[in-house]
Amino acid sequence: MRKPDSKIVLLGDMNVGKTSLLQRYMERRFPDTVSTVGGAFYLKQWRSYNISIWDTAGREQFHGLGSMYCRGAAAIILTYDVNHPQSLVELEDRFLGLTDTASKDCLFAIVGNKVDLTEEGALAGQEKEKCSPDTDAGDCVSPRVPKQVQLEDAVALYKKILKYKMLDEQDVPAAEQMCFETSAKTGYNVDLLFETLFDLVVPMILQQRAERPSHTVDISSQKPPKRTRSGCCA
Amino acid sequence: MEAGGDTAAPVPGGAEDLEDTQFPSEETREGGGVHPVPLDPEGEGLEETGSKDKDQPPSPSPPPQSEAPSSTSRLWSPAAPENSPTRSPESSSGGQGGDPSDEEWRSQRKHVFVLSEAGKPIYSRYGSVEALSATMGVMTALVSFVQSAGDTIRAIYAEDHKLVFLQQGPLLLVAMSRTSQSAAQLRGELLAVHAQIVSTLTRASVARIFAHKQNYDLRRLLAGSERTLDRLLDSVEQDPGALLLGAVRCVPLARPLRDALGALLRRCTAPGLALSVLAVGGRLITAAQERNVLAECRLDPADLQLLLDWVGAPAFAAGEAWAPVCLPCFNPDGFFYAYVARLDAMPVCLLLLGTQREAFHAMAACRRLVEDGMHALGAMRVLGEAAGFSNASSASAPAYSVQAVGAPGLRHFLYKPLDIPDHHRQLPQFTSPELEAPYSREEERQRLSDLYHRLHARLHNTSRPLRLIYHVAEKETLLAWVTSKFELYTCLSPLVTKAGAILVVTKLLRWVKKEEDRLFIRYPPKYSTPPAPSTDQAAHNGLFTGL
Repeated sequence: MRKPDSKIVLLGDMNVGKTSLLQRYMERRFPDTVSTVGGAFYLKQWRSYNISIWDTAGREQFHGLGSMYCRGAAAIILTYDVNHPQSLVELEDRFLGLTDTASKDCLFAIVGNKVDLTEEGALAGQEKEKCSPDTDAGDCVSPRVPKQVQLEDAVALYKKILKYKMLDEQDVPAAEQMCFETSAKTGYNVDLLFETLFDLVVPMILQQRAERPSHTVDISSQKPPKRTRSGCCA
Repeated sequence: MEAGGDTAAPVPGGAEDLEDTQFPSEETREGGGVHPVPLDPEGEGLEETGSKDKDQPPSPSPPPQSEAPSSTSRLWSPAAPENSPTRSPESSSGGQGGDPSDEEWRSQRKHVFVLSEAGKPIYSRYGSVEALSATMGVMTALVSFVQSAGDTIRAIYAEDHKLVFLQQGPLLLVAMSRTSQSAAQLRGELLAVHAQIVSTLTRASVARIFAHKQNYDLRRLLAGSERTLDRLLDSVEQDPGALLLGAVRCVPLARPLRDALGALLRRCTAPGLALSVLAVGGRLITAAQERNVLAECRLDPADLQLLLDWVGAPAFAAGEAWAPVCLPCFNPDGFFYAYVARLDAMPVCLLLLGTQREAFHAMAACRRLVEDGMHALGAMRVLGEAAGFSNASSASAPAYSVQAVGAPGLRHFLYKPLDIPDHHRQLPQFTSPELEAPYSREEERQRLSDLYHRLHARLHNTSRPLRLIYHVAEKETLLAWVTSKFELYTCLSPLVTKAGAILVVTKLLRWVKKEEDRLFIRYPPKYSTPPAPSTDQAAHNGLFTGL
């Protein structure tokens, strides 16, 4: 049986494009929108590791299940829609609480999807080789609507999460590295997002394996999680 | 039917007892199925109809605002765009319209609405619910008006329209139809819609929500499920059978293979596993119930049909899904957890229903066992071939052509066996061939569905049931027949003579008899092998333990 070595979970409000992001990465296509029911499980072979990815439903109906999907997760991708500020607010209000069941040293990535619908995104789509992904080309004027959520807002949320999780900024990847703006439609930054996470998760798998004999999941421990791993990131 | 082209022939044995009462001269009225033909008066006496029938407009034109106790409108507009960045193409249930004055909206043959007791719109088949607050207000008013007299409104007949009301807990369901469906059939449809809602939320949580907050906007919780309701309602018009006959459609399959697959399902168990189902394109291959979990509780066919519809959702096309689902007939207040996956990148779908919330990986392991077993049986190849024949409209549904019967003039049929072994009653089934030309377009399918519904309504009329109907319509001739052994609806070429029709039906019955082992699950396994599974092949175990 293919036992997954690690777990990544996609969370976020409905219709922000979680399924589309994953399908773009896994199947290299941008399919018609379907509304996810519950959660869908995918297995990705990354180097010699099996990484499981859970695509969850953003619908409120399935909200109660979120913490179950997150149990023991090594990384959580919090997804919002750059054109809908509310979807970023929802991440904090509704979804952050679900991550309490995740692994203690869980990584967080914050992803603003659908940049193709913004004027900056249109630009980035055309000239993505020229611009660095983080460049905020906000001053270009084009007929597209301006982006409603700036990358800085995501960075601010990332820092808030660290505070909430009582993590030290020194011990985790920098906000700039973990906040992405993507387009599942054009594929912009999608590979970067997943592969960055995979590369970050692999050392965690190794560490877990090294610690295995003594390492059992201690869900009763309420101590602020201590980060022992650092500087693993590319 | 209104052509009077039917007669009771209460002799099950002989088709020659058919009586000729066709009136070809009236056929033209049959054509579109949407002409304002007077309704059959059937069943009308049973319905509580308000004395205000005549005052009701035939379609829900917006009444003066003051008439509608619509406290609803204020609650709508602000919330929608803010809270759900989500109300985008996929969730709006029927295109742009929705304004009751919109011609296109008014021209729909059948509307189905779900609203809360407070009159708050929850679902509308066509148009956006936001635009319908006033209309829904009228419906609430009608219901509460009759209620205040200590009565319950069931239906309103207004010229060519039927309005059927169904109250289920805090939800009110309304169908408004110009089709030939009877009120009882429409009620059945509303019950199925309600079951669908319950299956995603449970009855208990719906009740709790509204007890807590009467004007709660249930759309928040149903968001994303509207498409499922749309598909359910479409299937009634486009591929009639399941709901009409209260039976599931099986994939035609050689009996040894089906038995082997059943045995395989019973062998592959997991902790808390209650039910395993193999299906393809909304049709059943086989199913197995776990004795320890569903002991003595038979799975209701409506629940099984609901599951078959549910796993057909596009959301299950990729990955392995894990989601809660409620079986409304089994227990409307609790959830099962369902593992759903397409096997081997095929349209073949495996559903594993369990009671344990955290059992995903156990179910996934169980799926691999099933998959391996199916490879060993060569089942994938056979099912793949079965799926190969089918027309574009249902590309993933294995089916057969009506040609297989070898009865020229026969265009389509629905056959539901009734002469089944006792322990088989738990699984009502029917079979029908693929809808082929001339029923490839939407309008034609609707016409056929209308005809089937009309015949069904006559056969099952509560006050004057019929056994046999020979009906000449404009573009086809139909023969419906119910005996103690089967219920049959046939659609024949319009040029067929009565003698010819009898010949065709005889041929069809002979064919079904010959093929019944393949068309139906004749001896459905009842239970899985108990846990602590013996790994040896216990092919008949389920059968015997069940008896």
